[in-house]
Amino acid sequence: MTKFTVNDRPVQYRMDPDTPLLWALRDASNLTGTKYGCGTGHCGACTVDIDGDAVRSCQLSIRNAEGRFVTTIEGLSPDRGHPLQQVFAADNVSQCGYCIPGMIMTAAVLLKRNNDPSDEEIDAFVTNICRCGIYPRLRAAIRRAGRIMRGEEQVEAAPPPGVTPEDAARTVPALRRP
Amino acid sequence: MGRAPRKAVQRKDQSRGIDRRTLLVGAGASAGLLLAWAAWPRSYRPNLNAAAGETVFNAFLKIDRSGQIVVIVPQTEMGQGITTLLPQILADELGADWRTVGVQSAPVSPLYANSLLARQWLANDWTRIAGDAGDWAIDQYATRKALMLTGGGTSVPMFHKSYREAGAAARVLLCQAAAARWDVAWESCDIQNGIISDGGQRKLKIGEVAEEAAAFGLPEILPFRQGQADRLAGQDLPRLDTPSKIDGSHNFAADIRLPDMVFASIRQGPVGDAVFKSADEAAARRVTGFLKLVRNDRWVAAVAANWWAANKALDLADPVFELTGAQLSSERIEAALEQGFSSSSGQRLYSQGDLAPLFDNAAIVASEFSVDPGLHLALEPMCATARVTDDAAEIWMAAQAPGLARAAIADALGFGESAVTVYPLHAGGSFGRRMDVEAGVQAALIARDMGRPVQLLWSRLEDVIQDRPSAPAHARMAAKLGRNGMIDGWLAKVAAPCGMSQTWDRIARRKPPHEAARDSAESSTRLAVAGMELPYALPNWAVDHFPVDPGLPIGFAPGNARLHGAFFTESFVDELAHQAGIEPISFRIQMLGGNPRLAHCLTTVGAMGGWQGGIEGSGQGLAAHQMDGAYAAVMVEAAISGGKLSVSRIIAAVDGGDQINPDIARQQVESGLVYGLALAMGASVPYAKAMPRRAIMGRMGLPRLADIGEISVELVRSSAPPAELTEAGAPLVAPAIANALFTVTGQRFRKLPLLPRT
Repeated sequence: MTKFTVNDRPVQYRMDPDTPLLWALRDASNLTGTKYGCGTGHCGACTVDIDGDAVRSCQLSIRNAEGRFVTTIEGLSPDRGHPLQQVFAADNVSQCGYCIPGMIMTAAVLLKRNNDPSDEEIDAFVTNICRCGIYPRLRAAIRRAGRIMRGEEQVEAAPPPGVTPEDAARTVPALRRP
Repeated sequence: MGRAPRKAVQRKDQSRGIDRRTLLVGAGASAGLLLAWAAWPRSYRPNLNAAAGETVFNAFLKIDRSGQIVVIVPQTEMGQGITTLLPQILADELGADWRTVGVQSAPVSPLYANSLLARQWLANDWTRIAGDAGDWAIDQYATRKALMLTGGGTSVPMFHKSYREAGAAARVLLCQAAAARWDVAWESCDIQNGIISDGGQRKLKIGEVAEEAAAFGLPEILPFRQGQADRLAGQDLPRLDTPSKIDGSHNFAADIRLPDMVFASIRQGPVGDAVFKSADEAAARRVTGFLKLVRNDRWVAAVAANWWAANKALDLADPVFELTGAQLSSERIEAALEQGFSSSSGQRLYSQGDLAPLFDNAAIVASEFSVDPGLHLALEPMCATARVTDDAAEIWMAAQAPGLARAAIADALGFGESAVTVYPLHAGGSFGRRMDVEAGVQAALIARDMGRPVQLLWSRLEDVIQDRPSAPAHARMAAKLGRNGMIDGWLAKVAAPCGMSQTWDRIARRKPPHEAARDSAESSTRLAVAGMELPYALPNWAVDHFPVDPGLPIGFAPGNARLHGAFFTESFVDELAHQAGIEPISFRIQMLGGNPRLAHCLTTVGAMGGWQGGIEGSGQGLAAHQMDGAYAAVMVEAAISGGKLSVSRIIAAVDGGDQINPDIARQQVESGLVYGLALAMGASVPYAKAMPRRAIMGRMGLPRLADIGEISVELVRSSAPPAELTEAGAPLVAPAIANALFTVTGQRFRKLPLLPRT
């Protein structure tokens, strides 16, 4: 009983049903944006969105994911266009980057429920661990993403992936068409 | 603008062999913004691959026909932004459009040797006495061995000049190619935003002349770019590694996927001289997807179709190890450190003036301090992916010493080094841990045994057991205050193992960790008391180091020995200020007459933070420190509420010279501050029976967002050469908090972590 939906696609994993979702995503689906950090549900690097909840995927077996709707960082947006992704780029939040998918997935769930959270609500919800120390930029980035979601602000910081050389040459005078 | 003739440079070159750094310093001092181009090590050619349409300009730069600037970076990205900083230096000199700049990792080559870290690391006191000759010998060694190293905050100071030179050289070549087409003097041409112009109407894109430019010869003198307009240096340009890190597409070593690849988890036994004895393979076989147990003298790995199955199989196999020698425990660490003070290997490593007559029959202020080993706990556990055939190996891993990693892997496989390719990946944290190379060696051996590609990922438990933490240390501090409130005499005795020495023994001499720990206890070294060389002008002071082997192998960390050195020094300075009845900033500044940069950081942090003079009840404390071209002061506001440490504000003022990318510089400082906060709060475990007593990430006392108050970083404007600020913040947070807690509790906090944990 390991059938569910991952990033809008129906999947069935032929793995031990006790396998934590994290490892099905990483090692069977090659969705490696979801990271292993501790395996005990503390660090939050493996956080995914399941039916609108931020879930630490190392703590949920694929048996218990039956019928549910899983979204990973790969499925959050097709083009790095989620407000949190754009703000993380604009505010230069990420350092080593390992905690970032889990941070973004956690914050995305928070903002989906409440796009104007207080600092206290942010602190209570985002309990992920970052060792590089992105914390000093994190609350402001989440609030800014909230403002974007409320239509009060716009930001465009990171380009979408897959820009063709032709498109790049049209935008950047220093480039030639290959 | 003056010009230094090439001949003079060559003469100097011949008389001393290649000591590029001295040459460049010499040329710079006498001739301004000039480049000793002839000193470039010409005997080594770049070993870069060029894709179709790419032209190799030098070891640091390729340019594509379409105008893409590909900057080659030998340094390991661990979040510190080095894969943006070095390209930014080059792109600034070149005149590139930042949107056209990309970055690639460097292959192993002598051209990328980090002689600056090698000097710090390998210089014992003998080479210090030998002076330049000792440095020269180390430089030669580092180059010949292709000693590529990332650590100790050396990347920017080491390579700043090389990237400027590489960018300037490419700019001149491109200008020459364009000038030849236009039949004008190349000196009249310039490059801005990736467009070459002759100063008038004629313009060419870089990509249009890249191929022909490489064929031009370099002039004897390369001019550096003049003027401040349209410069990329000094701007908060976006990091090149950001896009892939916000959408989950960035590949760390455990994200590599190869055809037919399988997954491995490993056990290496308890801490110490442990040898693998046996495991229950039948139990492991019950796990779906389990493939094999791979056995080695000192470890055993389970391999399976997915990592969770591999790790579960290993749990069920319940490996047994045999431990020789005393069992590591917290009590043993403490006892070893205390006994260290009577070790005959102890030596006075810094000495100024004469303490003996001063301390004789005088009133001495004395305090004892201790620091627990600090765990790295990088969010990415140790990992590597390997593909090994009969005669070649490929390893994907994050390695702060990729050349030594390659050598160790080749040695383990019985291959020549040229048969091994290490693909350098970014580290998911590291904090010094990836100076060690064992995960790459293990992955290669397992892959060979399996006959198919293997991805090895250590479990968090394994990562904690086999961490090589920052050093535990004890200090006995003593000082005599003068009548005017000045410090007349200062003596610091420190018992500590040396993480840098042990790491070298492990990765270059291939000693097992427990042997490296034992052997490094035989000699004292300044590396173990870094940060205790006083920035303050005192007439009489000394620092003694007593080497120790507490049975716990240790390694590199942000700030290395400064993590304990600054804690001891800055906590004790604060005690002396209190004894002298002088406000702590004034107390320090009266001894900083010769150190205006550090004094300025102190006054700045005081002004920014609303310093109330360290008075009782203020909850404010501060600490200051200097290191390798960086000067920093940190002020905090802290309290203990409900038995828990709470730090509501951390303010840092840092003078790190003329920073290339100020926002990345601030990130580096912020990172250090949070790392330092973790050491103040926890990031350590008790040990018993040769094992850590807990290994769960949630019980390490690590700060989470809710533990972070206001953190602000002020970069002091400076025209000094840029320092790297990765090491600046971490050592200062704990002493600043300890000093702040004294104002609210009246108690001194002389242990790290600051509050006892159960």
